[in-house]
Amino acid sequence: MSRLFNSLRDGIGFDIVLVGAALVFLLALAGAPLVYNVLMSFQQVDMFTLGALVRPFVGFENYVAVVQMPEFWLVTRNTLIFVFGSMAGQFILGFSLALFFAQRFPGAATIRGLFLVSWVMPGLVVGAIWSWMLAGDFGALNVILRGLGIIQSNIFWKSDPAFSIWAVIIANIWLGLAFNMLLLSVGLAAIPRDLYEAAELDGANAFQRFWTITLPMMRPTIGAVLSLGLIGTLQQFDLFPAITEGGPANTSNVAGFWSWQLSFQLYDFAKGATVSVMMFLLVLFASIIYVRSTRHEVRG
Amino acid sequence: MTRIYTPWFLLAAALILAAIYLFPLYWMYVTSLKSSSEIFANPPTFWPRDPDPGIYAQVWHRRTMPTFLWNSLVIASGVTAVTIVLGTGCAYVLARYRNVWIDIGLFVVLMLQVLPASVMVTPLFVGFNQVGLLGYPRTAVVLAAAAKAMPFFVVLVRATFMSVPRELEEAALVDGNSRVGAFFTIVLPLARNGILVCAILTFMTAFGEYIYSKSIIQSPSLQPASVGLSGFLGPNSTDWSSIMAYSAIYVTPILAIFVLLQRRIVSGLTSGALK
Repeated sequence: MSRLFNSLRDGIGFDIVLVGAALVFLLALAGAPLVYNVLMSFQQVDMFTLGALVRPFVGFENYVAVVQMPEFWLVTRNTLIFVFGSMAGQFILGFSLALFFAQRFPGAATIRGLFLVSWVMPGLVVGAIWSWMLAGDFGALNVILRGLGIIQSNIFWKSDPAFSIWAVIIANIWLGLAFNMLLLSVGLAAIPRDLYEAAELDGANAFQRFWTITLPMMRPTIGAVLSLGLIGTLQQFDLFPAITEGGPANTSNVAGFWSWQLSFQLYDFAKGATVSVMMFLLVLFASIIYVRSTRHEVRG
Repeated sequence: MTRIYTPWFLLAAALILAAIYLFPLYWMYVTSLKSSSEIFANPPTFWPRDPDPGIYAQVWHRRTMPTFLWNSLVIASGVTAVTIVLGTGCAYVLARYRNVWIDIGLFVVLMLQVLPASVMVTPLFVGFNQVGLLGYPRTAVVLAAAAKAMPFFVVLVRATFMSVPRELEEAALVDGNSRVGAFFTIVLPLARNGILVCAILTFMTAFGEYIYSKSIIQSPSLQPASVGLSGFLGPNSTDWSSIMAYSAIYVTPILAIFVLLQRRIVSGLTSGALK
C-alpha cells in the first residue's frame, strides 16, 4: 500500500495518474460516443427506442435509406464543393498574405496578428455578419461589387440556388484565411535567408526563387496546412444555421449540417448517426494525412 | 534585387489589406448604430448619419442578454476549468518522455482533435439522454465541449512544457523534492504563461460554443448567448440593427481581450500549432 502511495507521489504512478485522468475523460466523452455512433447507425433509433438500452438491429437498412434519400447526392456534391472551394480560397489567399507579410517593414507582425481576430470570434456571430453583408437587396457585398463594375445586378447570395453554397464558402474563407496565413508564415520564417541570397547571386528572379526554394522548403508545412484546412472545413457548422440553414431546397446543405438536421429537427437519430459515420470516414482520411505530415514535427 | 518598394509603401499596403479584411467587423458596429430606415438606404451609407447607441440598451433588455451572457460565462468557465485541470497534467507527461506509449497517447489526442462536433452531437445527445445528464443541460454541454477543447489545449501546452529545461526539474529532484513537489513548485510556475494563454484561447472558443448548447439545452433560461442570437437569425431575418447590436455586445469583450493579448496569443499559437 505504501509502495503504491510512494509511486503516486514520486514515481511512474504520478505520470500514469496525470495522463490517465485525461485519457479516461477523453475516451468516455469522445471515444465512446464515436463507437456508439457506429452502433446506432446499424440500429433502429426513433422516439420510442431513444431511451432504451437494447434496440433492434436493422443491418445496413439505415445506410440504404440514407443513400436513397433524394437529397443525398446533392448534399454530397455540396460537401465536396464546400470543402474544396473553402480550402482553395483559404490557402491561396492565406499564402499570398503570408508571402506579403514575410517582407520586412515596420509593424508587419502586429498587423498580421490583427487578422487572427476572426479566429477567436464566435462562429455564429461571423455567420450573422456575413449573412447581413451577403443580403441580396441591401447587402454591402453587392454594393461593393456593383461599384467595382464586377456585377451588373444584385446577386441574391442566400436565396439563389446557384449561389447559396458560395455564400457560406465566402464566409468560411474569411474565417479560415487567418489561421492558414499564420501557419504558413511560421513555415516561411523557418527558411534560411542565405538560400535566397545565394539564388539571387546566381541570377534567379523572384518567380524562380519562389518555385525552386520557397515551395520545396514549404512542403511539410503546406501538407499540414492543407490537411488542417480540410479538417477545419469539415468541422465548420455554425455558419450554416446563421446564413442559409442549408436552403433553399438543400442547395447549400452539407453532411455535417444535414446530419444535425436529421437528428435534431426530424428526430431521426438513426439517419443522423448514419450520415455522421459517413462523414467521420472522410475526417479519418484527412486526419491520417495530417498525422503523417506533422508527426515528426509534433514529436519535436 | 533592386528595392523599388520602400518599407513605408509596404506598411500602407498592409494597412489597406487589414482594413479590407476587418471591414465586416466595422460593418457590424456601423450597422448597429444606424436607424432602421437608414439600413435599407440605397446606396448604403458607410458612416451612420445619425448614430443611435440607444439600440444597445434596448436589445440588452428585450433579448434578455444578461441571462444569455451569464450562461455563456458559466459554460465557458466550466469548460476552461475542466480542460486546465485534466489537460495540463496530460500535456506535461506527453512532453516529458519519449517512447512508444507516449507516441500512442499523442496519436490518440491528435485523432480526437479532428472529430467534428456535428459528428459527435448525435451520439452524445442519445448517450446523455440514457445516463440522465440531460436533466443538467449546462453540465452536459460543459463535458461535451471540454472533450472537444482538450486535445487542442494538450497539443499547445505540451509545446510550452517542452521549452521548460529538464535540468531544472532534475535539480529539484536531486535536492530531495518528490515528483509531485517538483511539478507544482518548479515546472508549473515556469510554464504558467503558456498555460494561461492556452486557457484564454479555450475560454474564448467555449464562449462562442453553439452546436452542443443548441442541441442539448432546451430551456431558454439556461441557453448561452450564441443560441440566443440564433433565435432571431435566419435566412429571412430583417431586423439587422438589432442582430448587429446583439453581436457587437457579444463579441466586444472577446475582441478587447484579443487586442490586449494579441502578441502572446499569436506566439502561443505559432509555437504549438505546428512547430
